[in-house]
Amino acid sequence: MNYDFSERETAFFSQIDELMQSLAEAGDSDRGDTGAVGHRLRHALKRLAETPYLKLGLQAQEGLDGPSLMRAMEIVSSLAPSLFLSVEMSARVFGRILSTWGNAEQKERWLAPLLKGEIVGALALSEDSLNVENEPLKTKAKAEGDAVVINGRKQYVVNGPVADWIAVAGAIEDKNAIFLIEKNAAGLRLGDRIATVGYEGAAICGLSLENCRIRADRVVGRFEPKEGLGKIRLWENQVIVGASLGLMKAAFESAKDYAKSHESGAKPVIAYQEVGFKLAEMLTLLQTSQLLACRAAWTAEHMPEEADSLTLCAKVFCTEASEDVAGKALQILAGAGYVSGNAAERAYRCAKYGQIAGTSTEIARVRIGDCALEKP
Amino acid sequence: MDFAFTKEQLMFKQEVIRFAEKEIVPRVREHDLKEEFDFESFRKLGEFGILGLHFPEDLGGSGADVITTVLASEALGEAGVDGGLTLSLGAHTFLCADTIYRHGTDEQRKKYVPKLASGEWIGCMGLTEPNAGSDVASLKARAEKKGDAYVLNGNKMFITNGPIADVAVVYAKTNPELKHAGISAFIIEKGTPGFSAGPNLIKMGVRTSQTSELIMNDCVIPAQNLLGEEGEGFNMSMQTVEWDRSALLAPFVGAAQYMLKRCATYANEREQFGRPIGKFQAVKHKLANIRIFVEAARTLVYRTAWCKDQGRALNHLEAAVAKLFLGDWSLVPTNDGVVLHGGYGYCHEYDMERIFRDGRLGPIGGGTSDIQKMIISKLM
Ligand SMILES: Cc1cc2nc3c(=O)[nH]c(=O)nc-3n(C[C@H](O)[C@H](O)[C@H](O)COP(=O)(O)OP(=O)(O)OC[C@H]3O[C@@H](n4cnc5c(N)ncnc54)[C@H](O)[C@@H]3O)c2cc1C
Ligand SMILES: Cc1cc2nc3c(=O)[nH]c(=O)nc-3n(C[C@H](O)[C@H](O)[C@H](O)COP(=O)(O)OP(=O)(O)OC[C@H]3O[C@@H](n4cnc5c(N)ncnc54)[C@H](O)[C@@H]3O)c2cc1C
Repeated sequence: MNYDFSERETAFFSQIDELMQSLAEAGDSDRGDTGAVGHRLRHALKRLAETPYLKLGLQAQEGLDGPSLMRAMEIVSSLAPSLFLSVEMSARVFGRILSTWGNAEQKERWLAPLLKGEIVGALALSEDSLNVENEPLKTKAKAEGDAVVINGRKQYVVNGPVADWIAVAGAIEDKNAIFLIEKNAAGLRLGDRIATVGYEGAAICGLSLENCRIRADRVVGRFEPKEGLGKIRLWENQVIVGASLGLMKAAFESAKDYAKSHESGAKPVIAYQEVGFKLAEMLTLLQTSQLLACRAAWTAEHMPEEADSLTLCAKVFCTEASEDVAGKALQILAGAGYVSGNAAERAYRCAKYGQIAGTSTEIARVRIGDCALEKP
Repeated sequence: MDFAFTKEQLMFKQEVIRFAEKEIVPRVREHDLKEEFDFESFRKLGEFGILGLHFPEDLGGSGADVITTVLASEALGEAGVDGGLTLSLGAHTFLCADTIYRHGTDEQRKKYVPKLASGEWIGCMGLTEPNAGSDVASLKARAEKKGDAYVLNGNKMFITNGPIADVAVVYAKTNPELKHAGISAFIIEKGTPGFSAGPNLIKMGVRTSQTSELIMNDCVIPAQNLLGEEGEGFNMSMQTVEWDRSALLAPFVGAAQYMLKRCATYANEREQFGRPIGKFQAVKHKLANIRIFVEAARTLVYRTAWCKDQGRALNHLEAAVAKLFLGDWSLVPTNDGVVLHGGYGYCHEYDMERIFRDGRLGPIGGGTSDIQKMIISKLM
């Protein structure tokens, strides 16, 4: 047992912190037209590729593991949430699809440049009427000679408008597979960029595929629907947990700093229990979330059979906590928080996403309940 | 980071669960109903070695590490042992015996620790007073040195094991002009003239633990019953906080785990509308709430325990976070456990209402949730 991070990890966190501070200072990563978003993302991926960050979870890194990644994700998310989401959907989610199911050629072709920050990836999984994982995907592919023809529609694809390659999940015969589709492929139509409550610095769109023909060597894996999609959801959920930690941290820190420096009745407002005790509850949620998230990440590597339900526990807890903490932070910052353009306001707007995306909070609770019923 | 337990730790936890299920749990309901202390179970805990796990072998203990000790406390809750008995154990072992072990002279240790570790004697600790709870430093009990004796006067309130204890560690002021620095700790044995306990207080939960006032009325004790030096009492009481935030919280985690198991079994068996109630999402939602609470809470408790095993000074902020979380965040999941059982949940036989009642001590005992928030907001 060990509840500390090692020196190696602490040095890595400082490196990420420094890098992200400089990227965050260089420009507002939470706004911008699609061109600017794409440019910023590519620049960030290149810089992050100079560190072990992009490789974590995909290739073994000496002295770094799941909990190290969780803490590093917290740092990135706290400083630039939209950039975080874009980086993660590319590196971690798109990347893990290749590192887990890709064959040697596919790894060479896509994973290697991805880890160098040279290409941007996206995942298109969600469909408008079929969001519960155990329902069959409506996106279907048919083999035709040495090609595959795909038809279907996808919604809410992070990086969709800026990605070089999109990993589309679909059904082929009685299995599921991932189809790697290049940005200008014939038959791929990207929808307009979607405006969202939070994460407005990420480029998100829907897409449709009409007789989109790809070479068979761009089909990654064939897996049982439940198993494959379950894995992808686990990775997405881990990313969302990391995002929630960062949002909480940013909101808490800004409210704490403000409460210590802003005065009312000739004393800093933290001296009032109504404010100080709120901060105490926020820190309790943050610390509890951090520990649970790290334990879930550790469990995914060491006791994979227990990882799904524990990750869902962490996801429900951390995402709900982040909304709560961000709301309390705004309350403490009061007028100064309600004015757009501060970390607490940003966290407040982004937080809800965590409960919706990946395995939604409702479905997560159902799953956790099922798990308790299976082995009381 | 590494969240793994050793094989031995996990095996021991299972051993404790088996022991408790067989030897203790069958008597829990009866004693809770009668609000009676279960002397038989306490004796068995002593025989099994749980009362003195972390003390060295030459003092009747097993030399266990803190994590093992915490797992044993959790295991009792997980087996279905009530919060009253685990609180009695906590007050006895960690608040009384451990204080003597840590701060006593060799003579004091040899005299009391083995008897407490075996369960031959029962211990208690008296700090709170009728008018000094959260504001401990304002306590009024007075200890005056007269020759080679101390004369103690004052009352202590809400003292776990008060009515049944053979020995008490009691805090009183040797210098009433000072606040914290005026507090000293004393050992008082049952039967000492001028020392008595009030009747057992009727409580909402943790009912099998006996709670009372302790009354000191010109109670004369030998000067060698002082623990450590005069004025060190407050620090001693603060050192018990390490145990309070680990081994005393662990049974609540265990009890919630027990609740989860019972709820899942019930949800699989109970049928309404032609199907097991576990098929309804609202029932799964409650199971999920309990599970999420258990997972979040246990990590906090283990962290405090692990830090203590490393010999680190207590991180008061982290300890307060653990206490606050277990106290305040347990309300919804333990309520869910009751409601999931419907009318049966409201009845004693199903244990759910007891776990709910026992859990309500969480935000009060050993420092209220408000006090934890005060500590956290000051230290952040
Ligand atoms: C900003 C953003 C970015 C996203 N990025 C991506 C991406 O990059 N790639 C991708 O593939 N997807 C992405 N998503 C999609 C995301 O995963 C889905 O929004 C999510 O799975 C929920 O699906 P839905 O919005 O269609 O809601 P629905 O599934 O229609 O759910 C509506 C409500 O009903 C509840 N509900 C639904 N079914 C059940 C049930 N069986 N039991 C109980 N409750 C139920 C839900 O919890 C929810 O509260 C993104 C979404 C957003 C908002
Ligand atoms: C079952 C049980 C067993 C116990 N066992 C023991 C034992 O073995 N030994 C022992 O010494 N004590 C024991 N206690 C006492 C326990 O530690 C105290 O009850 C607790 O510390 C609170 O003190 P109090 O009851 O005097 O409440 P008070 O301190 O009077 O508090 C009343 C209310 O005011 C709030 N409050 C007080 N001060 C502040 C502040 N500054 N800011 C904001 N809010 C504040 C509190 O949070 C609480 O809500 C036990 C109590 C119980 C119920």
